[in-house]
Amino acid sequence: MKQVTTMTDLFERLNDLKVVFRYGQKLIPIIQSLIDFMKETVPLLEDINTSIADSTSKIPKAKDQISNVSSATELATTEILDIIDSISLDMDKIEKSVIDFQSKDEERKKIWNKLKEIVSNNSEALELMIQLELLNQYNPVVPEMLDTFKRIKNGVYSITLSLQVQDITSQQLAAVNHLIESVRTRLSSLIIHLDETEIKDLSEMKIDVPEGSTFDPDAIYTKSSEKQDVADILVNNINNKATQDEIDKLFS
Amino acid sequence: MSLKFLVVDDSVTMRRIVINSLKNLGYDNFVEAGDGKEALDKLSADEAINFVITDWNMPNVSGLELVKTIRGDSKLSKLSILMVTTRGVKEDIIEALNAKVNNYIVKPFTPQVLKEKIDQILNAA
Repeated sequence: MKQVTTMTDLFERLNDLKVVFRYGQKLIPIIQSLIDFMKETVPLLEDINTSIADSTSKIPKAKDQISNVSSATELATTEILDIIDSISLDMDKIEKSVIDFQSKDEERKKIWNKLKEIVSNNSEALELMIQLELLNQYNPVVPEMLDTFKRIKNGVYSITLSLQVQDITSQQLAAVNHLIESVRTRLSSLIIHLDETEIKDLSEMKIDVPEGSTFDPDAIYTKSSEKQDVADILVNNINNKATQDEIDKLFS
Repeated sequence: MSLKFLVVDDSVTMRRIVINSLKNLGYDNFVEAGDGKEALDKLSADEAINFVITDWNMPNVSGLELVKTIRGDSKLSKLSILMVTTRGVKEDIIEALNAKVNNYIVKPFTPQVLKEKIDQILNAA
């Protein structure tokens, strides 16, 4: 009886094995396609790795190019400022000469009037002097010239002020450079992770501006006085010993 | 009182623009420094300097560190300090004011604002 039971068990086990084999037969194509997929994926991952390595190696060049742009704009700005200084100096000289001429013209008039008195009995000489006087009338031109000088000087000064854009752009470019360097660091770590066939979520990676950096990532060239207005409110309140709560209320 | 300005900025362009603006306002006595460290050297070498115009973001010693050092030094603590910087965030302005800058300008500045702030500092002194 026990032998019959054993045989029954054996057949049941064989049957189970048969089911396993049938299941295995069904699994084989799936495993095969998985192997095929992996075979195809590995070169793809290698390509990605190579591509990232290639991109990473190009980053220092991009950084250098941005630095070069900053240096070139600073050089060009310095040249513009040199020219502006030279123009301003020349303008000052001309302005001085015109003012000098204007003051001498007053003296000239006095002498002229004395001369006219002296030759008042000689009508021909007097007529010639009057004609000459008409030709020498500079007075209306001089104030106009001085006014034009003032306008030119203001224009030149406005150009100088607009060149603040160079400093602000340099800071923006420095911030971009820092960002690029951060991306390079991340890409380098990604290559390592890819080698380990493990990709980390890039969105978790945070790019921070280091303490003591020589640039302001939020630098902006704008004609808006919004930020200066905030500064003025804070200066007035803090200098008048306002509390932090009072300051917070101002901006709530 | 005759004013002698120390203009501190790591940007040559900005130093020249600030100095040109000061000239336009009628001032003619200036010293320049490229960072906070150089500024402190200039201050210790030249006692005639009585007005500091400084940027914030600079190498070696930043503008904020410069302000704190000046205010912490008994010989320099009375100097007038105007900060001229791109940093326009409220928290930054408060930090600078807590470090005892006399006034604060956000770049880019206009000549009117520069004159106004210098006058305010001089009138309060």
